[in-house]
Amino acid sequence: MIRVENLTKKFAGITAVDDISFKVDEGCIFGFLGPNGAGKTTTIRMLATLIKPTEGSIFVNGRTPSKDGEYIRSIIGILTETPGMYEKISACANLDYFSSFYGIEEIRRKQNIEKFLKLFGLWDRRNDLVSTYSKGMKQKLALARALIHEPKILFLDEPTAALDPESAFMVRSFIEQLKNDKTTVFLCTHNLEEASSLSDVVCIIKNRIIKIATLEELQKNKKGSNTEVIMAQDASLFEQVVKDTGLASNIAVENNRLAFSIESPEKSNPLIIKKLVNSGAEIIYINELKASLEEIYLDLIKS
Amino acid sequence: MKNSIKIFKKEIKEVIKNRSIWLPILAISIMFSVIFPAGLTMSTDSFLKDPDTTNFIAKVLQNTGNVEAAFLQFIIKQFMIFLLLIPAMLPSLIAPASIVLEKESSTLEPLIATPIKTGELLMGKTLTSMVPSFAISFINFVLITVIVDTLAYIRFGLVPLPTLEWFIVTFILSPILSFIITMASIIISSKSTDIRSAQGIGAVVIFPIYAVIGMQLAGLFLLNIKYLLAGCLVLLVVCPLVLKLAIRVFDRENILTKWKMK
Repeated sequence: MIRVENLTKKFAGITAVDDISFKVDEGCIFGFLGPNGAGKTTTIRMLATLIKPTEGSIFVNGRTPSKDGEYIRSIIGILTETPGMYEKISACANLDYFSSFYGIEEIRRKQNIEKFLKLFGLWDRRNDLVSTYSKGMKQKLALARALIHEPKILFLDEPTAALDPESAFMVRSFIEQLKNDKTTVFLCTHNLEEASSLSDVVCIIKNRIIKIATLEELQKNKKGSNTEVIMAQDASLFEQVVKDTGLASNIAVENNRLAFSIESPEKSNPLIIKKLVNSGAEIIYINELKASLEEIYLDLIKS
Repeated sequence: MKNSIKIFKKEIKEVIKNRSIWLPILAISIMFSVIFPAGLTMSTDSFLKDPDTTNFIAKVLQNTGNVEAAFLQFIIKQFMIFLLLIPAMLPSLIAPASIVLEKESSTLEPLIATPIKTGELLMGKTLTSMVPSFAISFINFVLITVIVDTLAYIRFGLVPLPTLEWFIVTFILSPILSFIITMASIIISSKSTDIRSAQGIGAVVIFPIYAVIGMQLAGLFLLNIKYLLAGCLVLLVVCPLVLKLAIRVFDRENILTKWKMK
């Protein structure tokens, strides 16, 4: 659906995006993560044909922005960082105005306006001026605008920012549903829990690509791992035993639970468990604690 | 073109709602299209009682026959130049408001992310600025003609309007001027983040019109067909230059990266 090869963008000598290449398959949710100024928005703008790359190639649904900019813009929907709605007209008028540029028939346009305003809980306020809307309502309206022409590819820049937990949950559920319609979602977010729960593939960028993989692959490749031991006794009695092995770090104790980080689970876990058993610990469970996307992200960004 | 019309339709509604745009235009229109022409036409008799005025008309307009007709022609030439104020002023008020409001509400990025062509967007903005300007200039033209002709006919049995100069000003010079001011205002607005400063700089763009008015009032020259056609020719040369510059400013990448945003 999207193919990017050696993409570079420079602004007055500053390299915002440096030689990135990736591929996004149809119906995939592609989590695009990175710190502020990492080049995420610039990349989205290049993919959406709004700015031209300095070097490299982009293919969106097999077409290039330089030749087929209008076609590409007709099959994409974009939620920008700021909602950007006309404040002095109603929500309905806003959606009708923006959707009119996609050449959709008026009847379908009206149906879609109703569908999305109802979906995002704005139908009752459809005729109110946008200036009377809260920040969260404007965000939902902007999301409705991005979806109004039923795009094949959706670029979402912080879709749940400014939303209350209930609305954020609803939006996340909706994004998950888009997969069933084979809509490709390019998700830019600082909410790593959200990225972790939604993304099929995660791309971490800091001007250059740091890592692209599925969450499972990232967890598998993360250096070191965490182990959790549940025992019959108070776990604090055995904290020193684990410390003395010299194999574990970040030891945490909570009631009958003992958690620690180790470099090599294959070598360290059997030794630590043996020591614990020899010291009289009655072990109930041993679990591998998978690294969160946040831990992986911070590790990669720091390194 | 369809998309430009959509933009025009949406924006013209906002212009109509915006009192700060149409109130000054309404005031100027009433002053220069109703009060002054009616007052001066009605007072022609009293002006002509002054021997200096009749001498002036005889010398400047080489008039030896109908003094009233000559005086009315002189007054009409003075109004004509004021008629240029509308096509100059209105675009300098509308175009900056239209662009700066888009910046303030951050609607430019989602708008240029639709399949619209930037040329269509520029055309839409241009229409929003030029159509009311042309419409009001035309209404003023009709108003002055009706008022002056009615009063002049009642008082002196004369129908001095319309003249060829009058047509040139309304149908050629005004639209050209309006187009240039619109393009200049769009270019200026790309660098402004608030309406007042954009309109303030826009007002400077129409300074040459004030200069022409001042020079004519000072008696340095009197507009005639030769001057008007020469003016049209000069401005026609300027048109493609400002258009080229506006198109360059209206590039998607320029809008997102070089325009000064709020």
